[in-house]
Amino acid sequence: MLRSTTRRRGAALLAVAALGAFVLAGCGDSGSSATSVDQADAGPCGTTADTTLTVGLFGTFGFKEAGLWDAYHKMCPNITIKEDVVEQSADYWTRLKTRLASGSGLDDVQAIEIGFVADVVQNHASQFVNWNSVPNAAADKAEFYPWKWQLASTSDGSTTVGLGTDIGPEAICYRSDLLKEAGLPSDPDTLAQKWSTWDDFIAFGKQYEASSSKPSGSHFVDSAASIFSTAVYQGDEAYANADGQPDVENSDGVKNAWSYASQAAEDGITAGLQQFTPAWNKAFSSGAFAVLACPTWMMGYIQGQAGDDYAGKWDIAPVLPGGATNWGGSWLGVPDKAAHKDAAIALVEWLSAKDQQVTMWKDGGHFPSNSDAAAAPAVSNAKSAYFSNAPVGMIFGDISSQMKIPPIGLYDTQIQQALTTQLTNVETKGTSPDDAFQAALDDIEQVTG
Amino acid sequence: MTAVPQTRVVPRPTRSTVRSRGHLPGRRIAYVYVLPFFLVFAAFSIYPWVATAWVSLHDTRLSTYHQSSWIGLENYRNLFTNRFFWNAFRNTITIGIISTVPQLCMALGVAHLLNYRLRGRTFFRIALLMPYATSLAAATVIFAELFDPHLGLVNWSLHTLHLPTVDWQGSKWPSQIAVSTIVTWRWTGYNALIYLAGMQAIPSELYEAAAMDGASRWGQFRHVTLPGLRPTILFTIVVSTIGAAQLFGEPLLYHNGLPDGGTQNQYQTLGLLMYQQGWANDRLGLASATAWTMFLIIVLAVGVNLLLARRREHHVGGQARRTALLAGVPEVTSR
Amino acid sequence: MNGGVLKGSWVTYTLVTLITLVSVFPLYYTIVMASHTNAEMAASTPPIAPNLSIVDNMKKALELAPLNQGLINSLIVSGTITAGTVALCTLAGFAFAKLRFRGSNLLLAICVATMMVPLQMGVIPLYMLMARLGLAGHLPSVILPSLCTAFGVFFMRQYISSAVPDELIEAAYMDGAGPLRVFWSVVVPAARPAMAVLAMLTFLTAWNDFFWPIIALSTQNPTVQVSFQSLATGYAPQQSIIMAGTLYGTVPVLIVFALLGRQIVGGIMQGAVKG
Repeated sequence: MLRSTTRRRGAALLAVAALGAFVLAGCGDSGSSATSVDQADAGPCGTTADTTLTVGLFGTFGFKEAGLWDAYHKMCPNITIKEDVVEQSADYWTRLKTRLASGSGLDDVQAIEIGFVADVVQNHASQFVNWNSVPNAAADKAEFYPWKWQLASTSDGSTTVGLGTDIGPEAICYRSDLLKEAGLPSDPDTLAQKWSTWDDFIAFGKQYEASSSKPSGSHFVDSAASIFSTAVYQGDEAYANADGQPDVENSDGVKNAWSYASQAAEDGITAGLQQFTPAWNKAFSSGAFAVLACPTWMMGYIQGQAGDDYAGKWDIAPVLPGGATNWGGSWLGVPDKAAHKDAAIALVEWLSAKDQQVTMWKDGGHFPSNSDAAAAPAVSNAKSAYFSNAPVGMIFGDISSQMKIPPIGLYDTQIQQALTTQLTNVETKGTSPDDAFQAALDDIEQVTG
Repeated sequence: MTAVPQTRVVPRPTRSTVRSRGHLPGRRIAYVYVLPFFLVFAAFSIYPWVATAWVSLHDTRLSTYHQSSWIGLENYRNLFTNRFFWNAFRNTITIGIISTVPQLCMALGVAHLLNYRLRGRTFFRIALLMPYATSLAAATVIFAELFDPHLGLVNWSLHTLHLPTVDWQGSKWPSQIAVSTIVTWRWTGYNALIYLAGMQAIPSELYEAAAMDGASRWGQFRHVTLPGLRPTILFTIVVSTIGAAQLFGEPLLYHNGLPDGGTQNQYQTLGLLMYQQGWANDRLGLASATAWTMFLIIVLAVGVNLLLARRREHHVGGQARRTALLAGVPEVTSR
Repeated sequence: MNGGVLKGSWVTYTLVTLITLVSVFPLYYTIVMASHTNAEMAASTPPIAPNLSIVDNMKKALELAPLNQGLINSLIVSGTITAGTVALCTLAGFAFAKLRFRGSNLLLAICVATMMVPLQMGVIPLYMLMARLGLAGHLPSVILPSLCTAFGVFFMRQYISSAVPDELIEAAYMDGAGPLRVFWSVVVPAARPAMAVLAMLTFLTAWNDFFWPIIALSTQNPTVQVSFQSLATGYAPQQSIIMAGTLYGTVPVLIVFALLGRQIVGGIMQGAVKG
């Protein structure tokens, strides 16, 4: 979950997966064991027969690590859960598409990421259980942030393909030690004021670059892409119009985000690193940059990359320049052809419930898409020791409640990839922003056809 | 040198002169022998391949696989007017040359070295095969790490030696060289062993005779080793050409699994372009058209290679050598 | 084999040692990376020696990914593919080399042309076929398509046509042997070196193949390359753990090389001499 649309997993070895393009979650028929036909009144676990549920996931969901599979097995001793994981969400998605096209081999539960939920809604809604017509539909719907429910639903709201797992409200993560070294303010509240707009943020970045005491080779922000992929979702439109059709040239989000990001690149306040590459991963500890846009899931990523030695050097400012928005997040859907549909529905409902989402936040850093869970004290009072005791529950809770979510479209992932790649050229190759934008439009045309 | 060793390629005289093959009994049983292969082949190779041809004539995406519409040759037209295609085409040729030529030359040199009497020869020969046993994915990760412009070992060494560092990822030629290095590293030892085997088939008397004629080591290499290896060399050229034209794993992994071949497509090959069209961009029709186009290009490239080689052979050698070569082409193409 | 013509000088040894180092270095560097955290690898002087934390990293990799199951499956898959390829391709190669039959040239030409086909595009129809056969997700879906390759057939055909004299086969027929017997007692012994080469190449290719296996299989029933998929499911992908896992999956191949290296390389020598 928690994967950005463009997110490539860090370590380059993960690219191994990329060669495989699309893995179809195997063993659709392997989980069958002894089960008979599931019955509607088979109790809270969906079935009374011994059942192995397969859950198709990508990257880092962390259900197992948070102990949720064990907990579910305790509650429903007849249910055993097996994960079928693919590293990269792009590979997972191609594999899922192949499975949907062939109509076989689907897992009982399939994760759906924000990068392709629009495609699932538009092209595959009939192949998934409609959460508006399950017995608990009304209760299910009431749990979520309305926008979260809406993104997984057809425009008329009649069909909903998945229940939300997490969301990715964004703030700014920064290395307080580096800012201090550069002679700049480093406490979160001051920074929140100084970074309230992108213009201010960029101006602050120039101060950092101008500092004679900052470590040599260090830059203010990791990449222009970091600014771009945040700011683009602050528009009324991002990559698609309200009908879900690609609409890059008329999008206010793209226009503004491009201008901020390319300005940052030209001002030299970016480290010019491509996100989710090994070089970028290493920079979390090397200090090649001081600041980056930081959805909730990025906290765990930073901690993993920078390691314990950097605990207390990282901090979080309770602000997102230009206004609150979201980066990433996922849903869980149940294919209509799932071998154990009722049991799978029961499991997904349980995972979406307040208590489990609270657990996922506490043990995994996945911010709840269940609004009750987000309001629970265990979430809102949370502090992160690693991030200098930042009140992360409060920070991200506030941002979540103010978030503005533009429509999403079929090719958001590829379009964002094209634009951020071209921004790298502005940063590292000195390409003029206009040329780079034109090149990105060419790339996008290859996708949209 | 007058005598050219033909041990590898010339059919035994008894065989070819006394009887031509085909007179052997068991004609009908032959169909039974090839049947299993063609069954597997038809089901799992030809069928998908024909399906690909069909897809290339449609506007197909995986998401809407069963609703694709017939568009005739539109995908091909799109491809040939597409700057990404021609960029990939050029890159495939340049990377192909940068990787294949030094690779085969080095393989020859390595084979020559290993043809000396050496202690621990078996050890060295096994070491030569290590790159082939290492998985491509792991190898590419290592090389991407070594060539990392910021923190890689290569630039670190350059820096330590007070030389200017190089952007092995972003600049066109350095990045193509880096990708070619991976290819070269992986296949040099393999080709060297094939050459070495060919060298061992050259009778040592030829070397002794050459030595008596006063030929230097270099002279022996040129006048004994090279002519004797000619069919093998042709074989490796053909196989390397096919390999280079289909190259895709190395450039894909070199950009962390992004299929664009660098931020400016500076090392995107045809194979990688096809992958990007089909998997990243979900345009299966276009990707299928690329696949078929690649097939034709490879057939053409291999054909030209063979033709050039034969003509050159005709030009250089007499009738005897030419016959040997013609026999040798299918002979050596086997691997 | 005449074992080389000229004695090597110290220059030769130096060069050969250098080449060996270059060949082995990436593997060595894998070990180094497998024993250092990202932060350590990012130090201004990168480490060049491995240490014992590689053991811990391998343990962690084993917890994260079903590597052992992957190894077993890979052994089954690669072994079956190797056996099948060698058997079927030798049989077909023999037919093409020694038994002239109607359409043989055309069939052989088709076979050779497909070596030039880029394969990645065929996988979606192939998956749909496997799904229809009920094989998707199971090992046969990975084994069947590779059970016999055009490359292998052509390779064996070339070898057998020059390495097995017609007279030998004719003599066997005159002695009253049937076609199968001729194949078994004349062709197979003569073709053994080439079969050894084909076996080694096939095994390595099958072991390292992941394009199709990742499509066809799941991480619950993976080959070793597919099982690497699960390696980075922790909250942050630590390169060291991924590298350690990769190493763990490569070690069996290396052991095979160490134990059988002499025979394998010998096989290549012999095979290439004739083929």
